[in-house]
Amino acid sequence: MNTVLLIAREEWRLWARSRVVLVAALIVAVLLAVTSAITAARVGDEAAKRTARQASAEATFFAQPDRHPHRMVHYGHYAFRSPPPLAAFDPGVDAVTGQSIFLEGHRQNTAMFADTRSGADLGGFAALNPANLYQLLLPLLLIIIGHGMVLRERESGTLAVMLAQGQSGLAIAGGKALALAGVAALFLLPVAGLAGFSVAAGEAPLAAAILVAGYALYLGVWVALVLAVSLLVRQRSVALGLLVFAWLLIALIVPRLAINAGSAAVDAPGKIESDLVMLAQQRALGDGHNAADPAFDALQKQVLEQYEAASIEELPINWRGVVAGYSEAKLTDLMNGYAEARMQKEAQQSRIVTLFGLVSPTLAVGASSRTLAGTDLATHHRFLRESEALRFDFVQGLNDLHAKALTYADDAARSADPEAEARTRVNADAWRLLETFRFVPDPATQRVARAGLPLALMLIWLAALGGVIAVGARRLRP
Amino acid sequence: MSAVLREARFLLRDRGALLWIMLALLLSVAATGFGIAEVRDQRATIAELLVEDARDRANALAGQSDWGGAAYAAFHLTYAPPSEFSFAALGQRDTAPWLHRVRMLALEGQIHEADTKNADFGLIGRFDFAFLAAAVAPLLLILLLHDLRGQERVAGRHDLLVATAGKPSRLWLPRAGLRFAGLATALLLPFWAGAAIEGAGMAKVLAASALVLGALALWWLIIELVGRAQASPPVLLTALVGIWLALALLVPAVARAAIEASTPVPDGAEILMLQREAVNGAWDLPKEATMRPFLAAHPEWEPLGEVTRPFEWKWYFAFQQVGDGQAAPVAKAYREGRIARDRAAGIAAFLSPTALVERGFERLAATDTAAMIAYEDAVRAYHGELRAFYYPMLFRDPPYDPAVLSQLPGYTPAQ
Repeated sequence: MNTVLLIAREEWRLWARSRVVLVAALIVAVLLAVTSAITAARVGDEAAKRTARQASAEATFFAQPDRHPHRMVHYGHYAFRSPPPLAAFDPGVDAVTGQSIFLEGHRQNTAMFADTRSGADLGGFAALNPANLYQLLLPLLLIIIGHGMVLRERESGTLAVMLAQGQSGLAIAGGKALALAGVAALFLLPVAGLAGFSVAAGEAPLAAAILVAGYALYLGVWVALVLAVSLLVRQRSVALGLLVFAWLLIALIVPRLAINAGSAAVDAPGKIESDLVMLAQQRALGDGHNAADPAFDALQKQVLEQYEAASIEELPINWRGVVAGYSEAKLTDLMNGYAEARMQKEAQQSRIVTLFGLVSPTLAVGASSRTLAGTDLATHHRFLRESEALRFDFVQGLNDLHAKALTYADDAARSADPEAEARTRVNADAWRLLETFRFVPDPATQRVARAGLPLALMLIWLAALGGVIAVGARRLRP
Repeated sequence: MSAVLREARFLLRDRGALLWIMLALLLSVAATGFGIAEVRDQRATIAELLVEDARDRANALAGQSDWGGAAYAAFHLTYAPPSEFSFAALGQRDTAPWLHRVRMLALEGQIHEADTKNADFGLIGRFDFAFLAAAVAPLLLILLLHDLRGQERVAGRHDLLVATAGKPSRLWLPRAGLRFAGLATALLLPFWAGAAIEGAGMAKVLAASALVLGALALWWLIIELVGRAQASPPVLLTALVGIWLALALLVPAVARAAIEASTPVPDGAEILMLQREAVNGAWDLPKEATMRPFLAAHPEWEPLGEVTRPFEWKWYFAFQQVGDGQAAPVAKAYREGRIARDRAAGIAAFLSPTALVERGFERLAATDTAAMIAYEDAVRAYHGELRAFYYPMLFRDPPYDPAVLSQLPGYTPAQ
């Protein structure tokens, strides 16, 4: 054990004297610090803004004057997706998906106004955030620092001396691994700091801890890869070339090819496409604005029987409101079916992309990071589902009011009779039926469970590379 | 000439170099192939939707008994088909909508709908030819060329070779040139084949090829200048990768952050809220309050502009347009902000060959921000046509005749 530490310490001493290592490490450290501060400030600002907008949307709804309840169904409401605390580290899909959604009767709208739509387009990876730096830049730093670890000893002839002194290849590899892992651990401090910061802001400690562990695992994979190449390759320039090539493949090429593959393998229809298919079905359900639509005959018969009434005029409730509520429920069922199918297709695509983590740990760490931060596609889907539930609740609450607070006679006469119209206006206190909405991601345990697959993929990488290193170290010859 | 032949023989025996060139070829085939598949998929989607859209509209119009009901019920598909060159650069098509279904209601409530794909696609990005040429190819060139001198130094032949060659350029130029040509050919051949399959215009293909070659030549120059330093191949490679990182990643990211901070864009959600308040508020206002601003914008309907009944379609559609009008200043600022940011990004791209190549490809493919805004403008213009078609019916209110609706304007995408 002592030898391992000695070898590691020797390596650290050497790196501390190397200008290339110091300059590279310093640049990365500064970048990380600056990006972390900027992202944390920006996301915090954004979260405050969206929470304020959500509150103001609710206040606006409550402040509406006395009205016919169906007018409020069309007046509608907004739901905002506030970024969770860990978005300060990994904003994830936040910039790509819309942040707010307009909720109204008879329709499911899309989330609108994504940042990317108004962003300055400077090509592929023009967005810097701490998560990106960890995923792309830190592996390069480890490569630059560590590619010569064993090769240096080989080239200078000290490897032969060490082996002759009776140090085992395993101890040498262990010492080198410890040395580079120490550097990686040092560079885990910013993410650990941001994780702590997010816990202070209300994030679950479990999710924050596993997020940091995921990055530790990721950097561990790179440490192992760098060490393995340094052990097995005989020339320094070849080792560096090989590692840069591996980085190019793992960090840049495979993730994008995975997107191509996911998109080609699963055809997820867009909303307009699936809405068109849905519309044909929807028409068969009847128009909820038109209570005389023959589609409602069966409902009418049933309601008349229930209230033992001979005609809709005799009903103690407003038939128009009944129809509005009934057709909204039917329609929502239909819309949810299509929305669910669409989301499942997207989730399938993303699962294919995540499975490419078997080839690229960068993809795996990205998936686990977004999942744990609550900024992944599944969390966006959760937002869509929850805002839909919110929409359905207030619309049905208003429809209930429409059925119970208004008389059928007034409701039918309101277009022609101003007095009847006045009686169909419901007191504005009723608008309080709208529930307050504050979006939060899934509970930490669920996020951790979802991150299990990508984390396992990285473990597989680490185990495989560990095996390669062990074999290579045992066979280490000068 | 003999120097080139000699170097060609050397290259054929240099397994490392052949590996990078083969890899470039494979990646280019993959990028082009996936690009073509995606573009065809999008075209098939549009073709399918056009049929469905017509069927749905016929269905919606069949049950109508008045002009206003028809205008309310009929949706119209608008779309931006991918260009023949899009296969090389999908650009904004993954994040910006290129499909809408609009009707006569207030447009601001419809045009911002985002029919976008899986958010992960927009986040990670596709591996298209533009990305390959802009970001990956320079790294491959670096890997190919960084240790030409270093190899010879390690082999102990460097000084001898330089001395016998007379001029150093006679030695290194053919060697590096051949590798450069090999890489460029491996990249461009599949791209040209793809362009031929897709029928992309010759001028565009030539411009794109020139862009790729120009950017790669710039990288060659950088590698050459750095390579002259008396340093070991690993240090040279480290320096070159550092330069690549700075130019491909950091400069665009910093430029983007700076542009977005200095050119604010109004919050899009504000457009919708303004429009909603205006449209919904109109129900509670006297009809005059809607008709006055409407008739000011459309004086031709002044003689028929009086609303007498509690509900009239002409009033209903008038307040839809007035609602659009109220949101117009913010919508305009949003549009102009995006254009200003894009213009600034176009200038900033000169600092980064990567951004320059990607933007160049997106422009050639009409998948850049400008093209997406042009599509939105086309949707606005089309919506205007719909209004121009329906207003005479709504205001003059001739007897309802479904046959007239066969003359409804259709959307034709710009080419």
